[in-house]
Amino acid sequence: MISAALVLALARVGDPTDDGGEPGAKGGSGLALFAAKVLACPYEGPQAIDHAVVLIEDGKIRALGERGELEVPAGYEVLDLGDAWLTPGFIDLHCHAAGASLFSGVNDLNDMVYLVNPGLRASSAVEPWVWDMRQAIAGGVTTVLYIPGSGTNIGGQGVLVKTAFNSYEENLVRDPGSMKLAQWGNPEGWGPGVAMSFENWNTRTTLKRGVAYAKRWLDYERDKGPQPRRNIEFDVFRDLVDGQIAISVHTQVYQVVLMTITMIAGEFHLPVFTDHSEIGGWLAAPEAVKHGVPAIIGPRTTDHNYNRGFIAWARNKHEGVRGLAAGWQELGQKEIGFNTDSPFVPEEELPVQATMGVRYGLDDSGLAALRGLTIVPARAAKIDAEVGSLEPGKDADILVCDGYPVDPRTTVRMVFVDGRRAYDAEREGRRW
Amino acid sequence: MERRPDLAVPLVLLLAGCRASGVAARAPAEPLAGLAPGEHGLALIVGKLLTMDGDDHVFDPGLVLVRGDKIAYAGPLVGVPVGYEELDARDLWAWPGMVDLHTHIHCHGWDDLNDMVRPLNPELRARPAIDPTEPLLAHARAAGVTTLFGIPGSGTSNSGFGTLYKPERDAGYEHVVLRDPGGMKIALNFNPQRGAGDVGSTWCGLAFNLEYLNDRAGALAASGRADWELESLMKVHRRELPVLIHCASAEGVADAIRMWKLRYGTDAVVSHGCWDGWHAAAFAAETGTPVNVGPRVENLLAMHREDRFVGIAAEYVKAGVQRVSLNTDSPVVPEEELFLQGTMSARRGADPYRMLRALTADPALSFQIGARVGSLERGKDADLVLSSGDPLDPRSHVELVLIDGRVQYSRRAEGATL
Repeated sequence: MISAALVLALARVGDPTDDGGEPGAKGGSGLALFAAKVLACPYEGPQAIDHAVVLIEDGKIRALGERGELEVPAGYEVLDLGDAWLTPGFIDLHCHAAGASLFSGVNDLNDMVYLVNPGLRASSAVEPWVWDMRQAIAGGVTTVLYIPGSGTNIGGQGVLVKTAFNSYEENLVRDPGSMKLAQWGNPEGWGPGVAMSFENWNTRTTLKRGVAYAKRWLDYERDKGPQPRRNIEFDVFRDLVDGQIAISVHTQVYQVVLMTITMIAGEFHLPVFTDHSEIGGWLAAPEAVKHGVPAIIGPRTTDHNYNRGFIAWARNKHEGVRGLAAGWQELGQKEIGFNTDSPFVPEEELPVQATMGVRYGLDDSGLAALRGLTIVPARAAKIDAEVGSLEPGKDADILVCDGYPVDPRTTVRMVFVDGRRAYDAEREGRRW
Repeated sequence: MERRPDLAVPLVLLLAGCRASGVAARAPAEPLAGLAPGEHGLALIVGKLLTMDGDDHVFDPGLVLVRGDKIAYAGPLVGVPVGYEELDARDLWAWPGMVDLHTHIHCHGWDDLNDMVRPLNPELRARPAIDPTEPLLAHARAAGVTTLFGIPGSGTSNSGFGTLYKPERDAGYEHVVLRDPGGMKIALNFNPQRGAGDVGSTWCGLAFNLEYLNDRAGALAASGRADWELESLMKVHRRELPVLIHCASAEGVADAIRMWKLRYGTDAVVSHGCWDGWHAAAFAAETGTPVNVGPRVENLLAMHREDRFVGIAAEYVKAGVQRVSLNTDSPVVPEEELFLQGTMSARRGADPYRMLRALTADPALSFQIGARVGSLERGKDADLVLSSGDPLDPRSHVELVLIDGRVQYSRRAEGATL
C-alpha cells in the first residue's frame, strides 16, 4: 500500500527535481496569470479586481492589478485563464489528516499517557503524500494546521504545512504552528474524575509555568538573568510569548469559550483563537471581540434547538436552525473562519463549511465566507505575512476556479502553490 | 378529503419583496378556465418555473395556477383567468416539492422503528408510528420536502411496510397520508445481520430467509388463497406496490437486483446503493432498476483505489440508470438537507439538472406516485416551492411552500427557519 502511494505521489507534480524550471516557481521565469476576476482578500482595502493580471516570480506574488494598468514585464510567460476566477488558497486550521488519518486505524495524534503534553509535536507524524492531502489540494486547500487530537488537555504542538508537495521540507510553513489545547468536551475521557473545573485549573497552571519559563529565557536574552535550563516540554511557550504562533483551542459551549478568551487572552495575554467555537459558543462573541480573539468554526456549522440529525446539544432558543457563523457575526465578531476537523469533514469540503455558514445566515456581502477560508485563518495562525491573500510579497498560492468558490458547484481547475502548478484538473483528471 | 382554510393571512403578505400585480394587458396564449364564483384559486407569476415534467420544460418567466388542491396550469406566462388571486413573484423560482423515499423521522428517527423479535415482518406497518406533529417535519416542509416515504429501520431483513405521506402542518394522519401501505422495506445486507442465534448472521442466511418468504408468498398466490399476514407482500409480487431495498456495496446492489427484479419481478428500487455499489450501476441500468442514493453521496473509501472522490449519483447516471433519486435516510442526514444531497452530487460530477430530477420527478416515478407528485403539471397535486434562486444552491432560500394548494411555510410570516 505504501509503495503504491509513493508511485502515485511521484506522479503528482511531475518530476520532483524539476523545481526551478517551472515559470513562476523559484528559479524559473516570471509567470503572468490573466483572469476574468481576482478575489484577492487583503485584510483591508478592495477585495476584487476584474479583468485582472497576477504577476508571479520566484514563487511569490510580485504584483497584481487590472490588465492595461499593470504591464507584464519582459521575459514573463503569460497564461491566459479566460473566464476563470482567482482566489487565495484556502487555509484549514483544524486538520488531523496530513498524516496517517484516524480512518486508517493509526493513532499518531493522541498520546495519552499524560494529561498535558506541550512538548509533543505533530510534525513527527506528517506524511505529505496521503490521499487526504491529494484531495485537499484538489479542493483548493493549500495550507493546513495539522494538530494533535483532543484526547488530552494539551495534546501538543500543531504544524503548519502546505498540501502540495512530496516532502515535508517543501511543505513546511511553520513548526511549531500552534499549541493545541482541548479545553473541554473530549479530554474528560483521559481518566475518571477529570471534568470542566479540573481541566480549567490544569490549563491555567500549565500556562503559568510555561509563560514563566519563556520569561526566564527573555530575561536571559536581555542580560537580566541566568541561563535557564532547557526544558523541551515548555519550549513552545517561547514562540507563544513571542507572538510567533497562537494557541489553537478545541473549545465549545458558552462558558468554556468564555474561559478560553478571558483566561488565555485576558489573563495570560497569549495569542489564541477559538477552534470549533460551536454549541452556543457564539454567545461569548462580545468578549472575543473585546480581546481580539478570532473564531474558527467547525466541523459543525449549526446549533439546534431540538434534535436535528443525531445531535441535540444546543442550549439556545432559536426558532429554527441556528447558524454558528451567523451567530458570531450578529454579535460583532468580524474574524470568522472555518475548519473541517478533517477527516471528520473531508479536507476537500472546507469551502462547503463556509457555504453552509452562508446558508444559515452569514452575511456574505463583504466576502465574509471567502475571507473565512483565507485571510482570517491566516491572521489567526500568524502566517498572514506569507499566505491568506493575494498581495505582493506573499506566497503564490492561487486557486483557479470557474466561479465563486463558495458555491459548491464551482470547480477548482488548477492550483498554484509557491508559484508551482500543484494540481491541474485537466492534466490529471478531476479528483472530486 | 376535507378541506381546511388556508392560513388566515393574505397571501401577498407571505412573500418577502413581492407585490400584488396590477391588471396586466397580456393576451392569453391558450384558453384557461376561470374560476366559478366562490371558488378559490391562486395564480403564481414566477421568474423561473422548473416543471420537471417529462419534457423537462423550464419557463422563464412562468405561471402556475393552483385550483383547490391541484395544479390547473403550469407553463409560460399567459393571461391569468378570471377569479384567481394573483401573486407576482417574478424574483423567485418555482419548482415541485421534493420527494424523499428513505426517511425515518415520522417517529422522531429512533422510536418505534425496529421491531426485531423476528427477522421477517411482512405483516408490520409503519402507520401506527406516524406522528404528523413531529417537530422534525416542520423543518422538512420549510425546506420544500413535501412527500416522504416513512419506513421502518433496517434492523431486520423485512421490517414491514412504509407509509407515503406529506409533512402537512396542523393535520391528522388521515389528511397527510398519500398511500398506505406505500411500499415494502427490505434490508438486504449489513444492518440486518443477526446475532439472535437463528439463521441470518451472514448475507447467505439473510438471502435464504428472504427467498423462503417470497416463495411462500408466491405459492400462496398461485393457490388463490388469501393470507392476512402476507397480503401486502402479495401486492408487491403483483406489482401493485413497490419495494425499497436497503443494500450497499457492489455485490449487495447486484444481489438486490437479481432477487427482486429478475427472480421475483417486483417494482424494486435500490436504496443507498453506496460504498462501491456503483460498480453494479450498469446492471441496474440494463435491468431498468431505479436507484435511490443516500445518505452517503460520495464514496470516501474508494478514494484509495480510485484516487478521487467518487460521486455515487454521478456514477449511476453515467452508467445509464434512468431513474436516479436521492435520499437523506433522515435523521442520518437532516431532512431539510435533502436538497444538499443534490448539491453535493453535482459537486461530485453529476449533471445539476439531473440532480433536480433526482429530488423531485424521478423518485416519484420510481415509486408509482408519479401521477400525483414530483412535477408541476396540470392535474397533479399542488405541492410546490418558491425559492430565491436555484434549489441546489445552499445560499438560496425557500420563501413559500404549498402542499395540496395550502400554504405550509412562509419565510416572511414565520421567520427564517432554515
